[in-house]
Amino acid sequence: MNATAAAASGPIIEVRNVAKSFVVKRSVFGRPLARLAAVDDVSLALKPGETLAIVGESGCGKSTLGRLMMRLIEPTAGQVLIAGRDVTRMSHGAMREQRRHVQLIFQDPYASLNPRLTIGQTIAEPLMLQNIVPASQRPKRVAELLEMVGLRPELANRYPHEFSGGQRQRVVIARALAPEPDAIICDEAVSALDVSIQAQVLNLLKDLQKRLGLAYVFISHDLGVVKHIADRVAVMYLGKIVEIGTADEIFGAPRHPYTRALLSAITVAAPPSLQRARAARLHGDLPSPLSPPEGCRLHTRCPHARPACQTVDMSLDVEPSGHANACAFWRELPPQDEASRIREPRNAKLELLFGAFEAMAAETAASAAAKDAPVAGG
Amino acid sequence: MSISTAPTETSPTRLMRAGEGAPTVLDVRDLRVTFSNDGRTVTAVDGVSFTVRKGRTLAIVGESGSGKSVTSLAIMRLLPEHSARISGSVAFEGRELLAEPKSAMRDLRGDRMAMIFQEPMTSLNPSYTVGEQINEVILRHRPFTKAQATEHGIAMLRLVRIPSPEQRYAQYPHNLSGGMRQRVMIAMALACDPELLIADEPTTALDVTIQAQVLDLMRELQGKTGAAIILITHDLGVVAEASDDVIVMYAGQVVEQCSVEDLFTFPQHPYTVGLLGSLPRLDEKRDRLVAITGTVPDMAEPPSGCRFQARCPFRIEKCAETPALAEITAGHFSRCWRAPLETLVP
Ligand SMILES: Nc1ncnc2c1ncn2[C@@H]1O[C@H](COP(=O)(O)OP(=O)(O)OP(=O)(O)O)[C@@H](O)[C@H]1O
Ligand SMILES: Nc1ncnc2c1ncn2[C@@H]1O[C@H](COP(=O)(O)OP(=O)(O)O)[C@@H](O)[C@H]1O
Ligand code: SF4
Ligand code: SF4
Ligand SMILES: [Mg+2]
Ligand SMILES: [Mg+2]
Repeated sequence: MNATAAAASGPIIEVRNVAKSFVVKRSVFGRPLARLAAVDDVSLALKPGETLAIVGESGCGKSTLGRLMMRLIEPTAGQVLIAGRDVTRMSHGAMREQRRHVQLIFQDPYASLNPRLTIGQTIAEPLMLQNIVPASQRPKRVAELLEMVGLRPELANRYPHEFSGGQRQRVVIARALAPEPDAIICDEAVSALDVSIQAQVLNLLKDLQKRLGLAYVFISHDLGVVKHIADRVAVMYLGKIVEIGTADEIFGAPRHPYTRALLSAITVAAPPSLQRARAARLHGDLPSPLSPPEGCRLHTRCPHARPACQTVDMSLDVEPSGHANACAFWRELPPQDEASRIREPRNAKLELLFGAFEAMAAETAASAAAKDAPVAGG
Repeated sequence: MSISTAPTETSPTRLMRAGEGAPTVLDVRDLRVTFSNDGRTVTAVDGVSFTVRKGRTLAIVGESGSGKSVTSLAIMRLLPEHSARISGSVAFEGRELLAEPKSAMRDLRGDRMAMIFQEPMTSLNPSYTVGEQINEVILRHRPFTKAQATEHGIAMLRLVRIPSPEQRYAQYPHNLSGGMRQRVMIAMALACDPELLIADEPTTALDVTIQAQVLDLMRELQGKTGAAIILITHDLGVVAEASDDVIVMYAGQVVEQCSVEDLFTFPQHPYTVGLLGSLPRLDEKRDRLVAITGTVPDMAEPPSGCRFQARCPFRIEKCAETPALAEITAGHFSRCWRAPLETLVP
C-alpha cells in the first residue's frame, strides 16, 4: 500500500555483513572482558511482499538479527539499509521516522500490551506518535484496523485482560499495522497460541500480506509453521547463517547437516506405526556462544564432521539457483536419508474427514454470514 | 433444552489394552474441580476419568484453558485450598490422595510423584544455585548427608546429559540455556525415582532439536525406571511421538480417549479433527489452514449440551443434549452424537 519508491524497486531491508556482539563481562574499570558474538557477519535482503523465515535453535541470534534488521539495536559491524536508506548510524530521532517502515510483533500476547490502556488506545498510540492520522480521524482508523484483524470495532473500549491470547495477538497485529509499514518482523508471533488459534492468526497474516503487500521476517522455531508461511528460509547456527534458500529448497533438498538435523527433529502428528526413522538427530547441547568452536561451528555436533572441519571457514557456497549453504563438504555428504525425509502419511479416509470438516465449516460460515450480515467482523 | 438422562459413562478401565499387563499407578475417577472467586464459579475440570499404568505415557492434549494443568495440579493437590473444590477420586498406588493430610502430600511430592512445569525459569528459584535446589529436594526425601546429596545430584545431571555437571552445580538458573534448565527440572523431578511423573508442557519452551532430545531422554529414563508419565501438551506432534495413550480435553471434559495409534489414524471427535486439520502440513503447500472458528467457551457459563457445538461444523439438533463419552470402537471413546465419524465421509 505505502511502499516508498525505494522499497518498491529494491529490498525493503538489507543487512550487509552485520555483526552484533554484546559485552557480557566488564572489569572493575568498565573495560570489556568478554564479548558474545550474537550475530556474526550476516548478509540478507528482504524483498517487498515476501516472507523470509529465520529459524534455528534458541540463542542462535534470530531475535538479535531481527532487531538489527529494524535497527532497534546498532550493529557492531556492517550496514543496515531500510527502504534503501543507510540507517546504520542514524540518530535516535531520525530513526523514529524510518522505523515506521518496519514494525515488530513478538511472542507474548500478554506481555506486549499495556494493561492500563484500552485496546483502542493501544492501537491509536502509534498513530499519535508518528502523527500519521489527524486526531479527529483516529477513532475511524482504529475501527478499520480492528476490522482488518477480524475484531469487532465495538471492542475498542475494552481492556487487554478481557481478551483471549489469540485476540490479543490480533490487537498486537492491528497496532503493528497502524503506522502502515512495508514490513513486519514477527518474532515467534504465533508460538504462544493454541494450534486452532494459531491457524486463524496465520491465515490472517497471509490475508493481510496479500491485501497490503506486506513483507514479513518470520522468526520461528516451529518448522511446520515456517514451511506453511515462508517463501524463503534462512537457517542460523551460533550467530551465522548456515543455509538460505526457497522454502522448497530448504524443506525438499536441504544441503547443510544442521538443516537436515533440524528437519529430522520435527515431530509429526502421525500414528506411531508410520513415524519416520530418525537418522540425522543432533546430539549434545549448543556450545557456549561465548566461545564458539573454531572452524565450522557445527563440528562439535555434526554427524559428518572430519578433522578438516575444525579449520574451514563458514562462507556460503552459492548455487546458481541462489540456494546457499555453509558446509565446506556438502557436495561430498551422503544424500539425505530417504527414511528420515519429512512425510506425513495420512490415510485417504482421514483426508476425506478433513475435507468434510472444511466443507461443512465453510457452509456454516456462509449461512451465518447470510443470517446476520449487518454484524461485521464476527 | 432439557437433558433427559444423565450420561452413562463407559468404564474407562477397559481402556489402554496394550498396557493391560502393567499395574495401575494412578486411577482418576470423575475428577471435578470448581473454583469460586468473588462470587464467580468456574468448573474447570468436569468429570474426568483416566488410568495411568507403570511404564506408560498418557498424553493430555487440548487448547489452553481446557483444564489440563488444573487436572494435574488437582492430582498433586497443589491447587489453592481456599478457592478450589475438588471432588471425585484420585487413587495413587491404591491410596486416595484426596483424603490424605497435607503433610503426607508434601512427603509424596518430589518423592513418589513428581512434576515438571512448563516454564523452567519460573519453577527454578533464581536466587539459589542449581545444586542447592537439587540438594534441597534430595535431602527433603532421603536420609543423605549433604555430600551424598551432591554426589547423587551431579549423577542426575549427568543422566540428563548436562555437560560438566560439577561446574553447573554451582551455577544459577540464569546461567543455563532453556534446554539445560528444563533438563535440570527433569533431573530434579527424577532425583528420587518417582513412580509417577507429571510433565506439564515440558518441551513447549524448547526448540525442536532440544525438544527431540528431552523427549528421547524422558522415554529413555522411563525405560530405566518404569515410571508412569502424564504428558500434558498442546502439541499433537509431541503426543504422536512421545506417548502411548491420549485423552483430548475440551472445556473441562474428556472428549476423546484412545491409543495414540487410533487417534492419528482416525479421530472420532470433531474437535480432534479440527485440531489435526489446523496443523500446518509438512508434505504439501496449502494456502490456508483449516482453522476451527471461534474460541473456547467461557467456563463460568458452559453451554448446555455438547460444549463444542458453537464451533462444530457437524452439529445437528441432537447436539443440544449432552453427549456421553461412549466407546465407538474397541478402546476408542468419543463424546459426540455423530461418532463413529466414518458415517460423515462418503
Ligand atoms: N542484551 C544482551 N546482552 C548480552 N547478551 C545478549 C543480549 N541479547 C542477546 N544476547 C545473547 O546473544 C545470543 C543471541 O540471542 P538472541 O536473543 O538473538 O537469540 P534467539 O535466536 O532469538 O533465541 P530464542 O530462540 O531463544 O529467542 C544469545 O547467546 C543471547 O544470550
Ligand atoms: N486458581 C484458579 N482460580 C480460578 N480459575 C482458575 C484457576 N486456575 C485455573 N483456572 C481456570 O481453570 C480453567 C482451566 O485452566 P488450566 O487447567 O490451567 O488450562 P490448561 O488446559 O491450559 O492447562 C481455565 O478457565 C482457568 O482460567
Ligand atoms: S563443515 Fe564439517 S562440521 Fe561443518 S557442517 Fe560441514 S561436515 Fe559438518
Ligand atoms: S455432539 Fe454434535 S456438536 Fe458436539 S462434537 Fe458431536 S457433532 Fe459436534
Ligand atoms: Mg528470540
Ligand atoms: Mg496449562
